[in-house]
Amino acid sequence: MPHIDNDVKLDFKDVLLRPKRSTLKSRSEVELTRSFSFRNSKQMYSGIPVIAANMDTVGTFEMARVLCKFSLFTAIHKHYSIHQWQEFASQNPDCLECLAASSGSGSADFEQLEQILEAIPQVKYICLDVANGYSEHFVEFVKDVRKRFPQHTIMAGNVVTGEMVEELILSGADIIKVGIGPGSVCTTRKKTGVGYPQLSAVMECADAAHGLKGHIISDGGCSCPGDVAKAFGAGADFVMLGGMLAGHSESGGELIERDGKKYKLFYGMSSEMAMKKYSGGVAEYRASEGKIVEVPFKGDVEHTIRDILGGIRSTCTYVGAAKLKELSRRTTFIRVTQQVNPIFSNSQ
Amino acid sequence: MPRIDADLKLDFKDVLLRPKRSSLKSRSEVDLERTFTFRNSKQTYSGIPIIVANMDTVGTFEMAVVMSQHAMFTAVHKHYSLDDWKCFAETHPECLQHVAVSSGSGQNDLERMSRILEAVPQVKFICLDVANGYSEHFVEFVKLVRSKFPEHTIMAGNVVTGEMVEELILSGADIIKVGVGPGSVCTTRTKTGVGYPQLSAVIECADSAHGLKGHIISDGGCTCPGDVAKAFGAGADFVMLGGMFSGHTECAGEVIERNGQKLKLFYGMSSDTAMKKHAGGVAEYRASEGKTVEVPYKGDVENTILDILGGLRSTCTYVGAAKLKELSRRATFIRVTQQHNTVFG
Repeated sequence: MPHIDNDVKLDFKDVLLRPKRSTLKSRSEVELTRSFSFRNSKQMYSGIPVIAANMDTVGTFEMARVLCKFSLFTAIHKHYSIHQWQEFASQNPDCLECLAASSGSGSADFEQLEQILEAIPQVKYICLDVANGYSEHFVEFVKDVRKRFPQHTIMAGNVVTGEMVEELILSGADIIKVGIGPGSVCTTRKKTGVGYPQLSAVMECADAAHGLKGHIISDGGCSCPGDVAKAFGAGADFVMLGGMLAGHSESGGELIERDGKKYKLFYGMSSEMAMKKYSGGVAEYRASEGKIVEVPFKGDVEHTIRDILGGIRSTCTYVGAAKLKELSRRTTFIRVTQQVNPIFSNSQ
Repeated sequence: MPRIDADLKLDFKDVLLRPKRSSLKSRSEVDLERTFTFRNSKQTYSGIPIIVANMDTVGTFEMAVVMSQHAMFTAVHKHYSLDDWKCFAETHPECLQHVAVSSGSGQNDLERMSRILEAVPQVKFICLDVANGYSEHFVEFVKLVRSKFPEHTIMAGNVVTGEMVEELILSGADIIKVGVGPGSVCTTRTKTGVGYPQLSAVIECADSAHGLKGHIISDGGCTCPGDVAKAFGAGADFVMLGGMFSGHTECAGEVIERNGQKLKLFYGMSSDTAMKKHAGGVAEYRASEGKTVEVPYKGDVENTILDILGGLRSTCTYVGAAKLKELSRRATFIRVTQQHNTVFG
């Protein structure tokens, strides 16, 4: 018998944060840097825990160079060659601690990952990313990677429920990527009907992970700085962004000009576009689960970063959190039916 | 652990007022004037309790002149100089009982406001306005202003919850400004995720304030006269409007002509536009929390005023309130999923 879970699961758009009393005088007093010690790798991390997604349009070396200046993190996409990695590493040794090398669960991916990590030992993070983190095959893969790299910090996903977060942590992962279908260029929910509202997923998965001293990344679904703040408020240790970082000078792909307006291409990593680029097309037995959009060109990512960090600092002052660390403890979400007054939304 | 408050909070768009039996014969019988005595200043106020927001586009002296003719109120923005104020006071003494001087919580603002209040003693209202009324620093500031001006009526905000309304009233404020993020050119909710649906905020804050004999202003979120009526119905003593008063002759800024259309600029006081104008730019550690829009030019504000007051009178007749004072007692809100028939937009 199919079973219906009766409590409504919530998305970022369904809530706002309730303001609380605060002793902070200015947004500038807020500390956004966090320090973590990871459960399985025993490594230490310190930085502002916002991550550029491992998509070939966003998780680029150019992005990493800017993000590391702000002590933000980049999950480098898996399509760079070992030579490109070596070149980047020799020119930007300072950035290497703020990035991860990515891999799927295939053996070709894994061999490439091994080569990169052997050639560049300063890279200490591995991002194991598959569409469906619920397969036993993926669990075995995580165990293999942990055995091969006992001291690297492993991010693994994606999943959306507590029991699978626990399973992956116990299999050797340190940080679990949480999110199925919330991304702006993801069509998984449409193509499969599978998914989980992101705010509820983050709250439930954070609870499961923290119980084991593991960590989570809220991956996908943030459309504005307020959503990033809500993800942290819900208990995410890290927040991964794709669409919000798309369309910048540092993003992959050419600038397109049409009718005097500039655009950049942005697409999901299971879209037709990505599959044609990297695997010669969409295999017969599967549908594409991503879309392709042209996003308006936004210039240098530096401005967007300041906007996001300024927004989170403001959130912290509203709820009385002097540090990002305190944000989730100070968070009370209220349920709402609309986010903003839409009266001038068309007359910017 | 983060917590989720289970009950859904409501905005103006989520409700309508239920009609009730009424013995009123005509809208013209409705009395919109209210009289209040304030808790801390002990001053008495009488007028139609609608306030023009202290934004530099709408909270102008030109606006105050028209508003005072209707016994409505203007929170004059804080960017006028002492000389501007002296000149206004000399030429329009009749307006002074219907205006407030505004200030943020900075030292410069306070000094400027003190000089204005000394030079123009007929002004009896102070509007203390900060984005985040929850900071202890602001509470201390309200206490300081109360001790410096024991007989002035102090408006202070913004907050959205009962416990902070009580705290500010007990710290010396008379009227609490309620609203975080509902404004049409406010982007606080997008930038920070923080906010509170306005109807629920007004209902909860009015309850707290009235328990202490304090008052509240519903500040922001009204897009039409019906929303103003809902705010009063929810228990607001005053309703503050920005966007609804934007785009008029009396607003600051030039009329822009483009493609045969006349427009005026309107922006939030934490927008790029405002921060460039008054603070030399957006500081590195913060994001702008307002937007800039071009609104269609609507001519003289007189017509908009009559439209709002006419709407309010009609609301009162629908629910059987002979006076604005009775509106909240007669208000039953029903929850709805749409406000009006959208077939013709």
